[in-house]
Amino acid sequence: MTKKRLIPRLLQLALIIIGVYFSFILLFDVALHQIIPKSLLTMYMLFVVAGTVMVFTFTEEGAQELVGPIKALVEDPSKKMLRNIVFVIVPLLAGYYTYTSMMPSFEAPMELRTIHPAPPSKFKAFGKSYNLTTLENPFRKFEKEDPAKFKELVKEGGNVYIKNCQYCHGDKLDGNGPYASGLNPTPLNFQDVGTIAQLQESFLFWRIATGGPGLPAEAAPWISAMPVWQDYLTEDEIWKVILYLYDYTGRRPRSWANE
Amino acid sequence: MSTVNKLALLTFCTALLMAGSAAAKTGVAAKGKEIYDKRCTWCHGEKGDGAGAAKDRLNPPPRDFTSGNYKIRSSDFADPTPNDDDVFRMIRDGMPNTAMPGWSSLLAEQDMWDLVAYVKSFAGYDKPPAKQVDYGTQIKSSAESIEKGKKLFEDGDRCVECHGKTGKGSASKRLKGDAGERTWPRNLTKPWIFRGSNDPKDIFTRISTGIAGTEMPSFADPKSKKKLSDEERWHVANYVASLAKTDKKVNAENTVIKADKVEGELPNTPEDERWEKSAPTTFYLVPQIIGGERFFTPSNDTITVRSMYNDKTLAMLLEWDDRTKSIPGDDAAEKLADAPIAEDGVAVQLPVVIPKEMQKPYFGMGDAANPVNIWHWKSGAKDATETINLINSKGFKEIEKRDAAGVGLKSKASYSDGTWKVLMYRPLTTSTPDKDIQFSEGRFIPVAFAAWDGSNNSEKGSKHTMTTWYWLLLKPATGSKPLITALIVAGLFIGGLLWWARSAKPAAR
Repeated sequence: MTKKRLIPRLLQLALIIIGVYFSFILLFDVALHQIIPKSLLTMYMLFVVAGTVMVFTFTEEGAQELVGPIKALVEDPSKKMLRNIVFVIVPLLAGYYTYTSMMPSFEAPMELRTIHPAPPSKFKAFGKSYNLTTLENPFRKFEKEDPAKFKELVKEGGNVYIKNCQYCHGDKLDGNGPYASGLNPTPLNFQDVGTIAQLQESFLFWRIATGGPGLPAEAAPWISAMPVWQDYLTEDEIWKVILYLYDYTGRRPRSWANE
Repeated sequence: MSTVNKLALLTFCTALLMAGSAAAKTGVAAKGKEIYDKRCTWCHGEKGDGAGAAKDRLNPPPRDFTSGNYKIRSSDFADPTPNDDDVFRMIRDGMPNTAMPGWSSLLAEQDMWDLVAYVKSFAGYDKPPAKQVDYGTQIKSSAESIEKGKKLFEDGDRCVECHGKTGKGSASKRLKGDAGERTWPRNLTKPWIFRGSNDPKDIFTRISTGIAGTEMPSFADPKSKKKLSDEERWHVANYVASLAKTDKKVNAENTVIKADKVEGELPNTPEDERWEKSAPTTFYLVPQIIGGERFFTPSNDTITVRSMYNDKTLAMLLEWDDRTKSIPGDDAAEKLADAPIAEDGVAVQLPVVIPKEMQKPYFGMGDAANPVNIWHWKSGAKDATETINLINSKGFKEIEKRDAAGVGLKSKASYSDGTWKVLMYRPLTTSTPDKDIQFSEGRFIPVAFAAWDGSNNSEKGSKHTMTTWYWLLLKPATGSKPLITALIVAGLFIGGLLWWARSAKPAAR
């Protein structure tokens, strides 16, 4: 005979599954601010349910203990009241679920895109070809060699930024400029640790020079509002803006030397 | 919730917020300078004169602190000195619908007090104001108070002169700021863009002090012919707060225009009252700063869309606030706007082929592989009526002008009191499916919009405002199928459970 448990096995099973479900929601939607797609959540939960049931029914005894209360509900005459309730609720739930899933949903389709797509090894801008694996910011060296000059370059970069970039990326470089809420995808937040701090300066140069239309297909170039900056800025201006982005946010670019 | 209740709740929440705001602290100007030089010079300039690098590319322009004009302040109308708390609030919360962000996410509270001290020093303000706005006893908003406020608002052209009868600020005269720049009366039906909050107490403050550096006068000034008592100013504040047109407020979650199916004829005028029942969807209009000649000083900020369809035709009603009806050659229009004026306009952009996958045409007029249809309405000139034009484009350099009448594309517009309403309709299908979108029920169709304000620098076609891609859905009538299926499923479950119980019983005995 199995020992008396504080929480019956069937309830344990249910609690674990519900617990995992809400943990997913908590982790993705609340903690990471990334709404988890329904289809993905369904797939995850399928594995979770299958796995948990497998663990719970690993031994014959365990399986018996799990099925016991369900059998009792149907067969035990003393549980008539509870049985009647369950027999009303279950079909109602099934009917409701069918109804809601058949009603057409008018929610906008979910669109997934890669935010930092893999860069090409070479790209064209300003009428010439750049090799992304060797490309470096020509002004970076002044940070050590001539701090006064570097400061001036950063300032020039800031002037370019405020006249061109703040509309979307914001005065605070937090991706929340005056027109940010009218755009989808929303502009990148440079203060975030997951953006420019994870990238090399050459990647930024590529993204700025060729803009939204220069993105590969997985990054959905057709919705990006990032202009093709080689049409408006010079090569030097782009490199200076890049200096400014790192200086203002206090982040460091990644480089081959530091890897 | 009634409007009055909403207002009461709003007042209560704001009161809570105010209670939570820190009491004024002393800032150190020298420390403020360090922060200012890093964060603020870009727009406000090193000397605080509003001549930063961004100066000519911002609308409204950055504040010139040396002028000593503080628009948002709570000191007495006769004393231009702001309270420290007034300046602190602007730094902490920013100003809606301007490039000024709230800094509380990046700066510590003491940093912001230090900034207050430094910013005030540009105009030499070193003492607190001698006198404050007298609030008297606040009169809570009620139907009666709003009614009184409305009367005072309209009497003797008091507020109507600039803000217009419906409060939209539709221009009836030219206004200028102290620096000679063109200014516009606030659109009072969009209180969420008020620079200094839409709480009735803040509105009361604006009415009492006036807005420095603009033609908005103080209505507490005993010398003013239009003077109002404390009590009267509360009524006007309550009335102004009640003017909000919430259907023109963007709800970020709402990205789908849902077109309802109607039996019989579609409404054929923008004023048809059936539009009232159609759910509005409002989108932000952002200035075109992406390609060609860029547009940095937009005036149109949102567009509201409603749609309906029947078995033959789709109708779309586009509505947006525009203070000026721009008709080139029209005397009234030319008097108000800075010449040269161009036609007002609005455009709807749709893909020629509804995408099956995620990929859509480039949102700025399509691309080589993915052309778009553009329905472009223009307001007409003095001796020419409004027009609707059909364009197919593959990017902004490859444009094909087509015959709108040939595909049955029509429009009908109306302008009243600062608002354009443009109704466009087109048959669901056309005889040229390779060139025109063919509408079908239940599909998510990408749709984007653009708007031109002819009185604001729009002689260049590229100088307009626009939206990103959103969705248009022709809502199919669902019928009774889901209900019937649900009943069948429930029935099957009952049957199954009963069968189980029945078959299990003998075993139990």
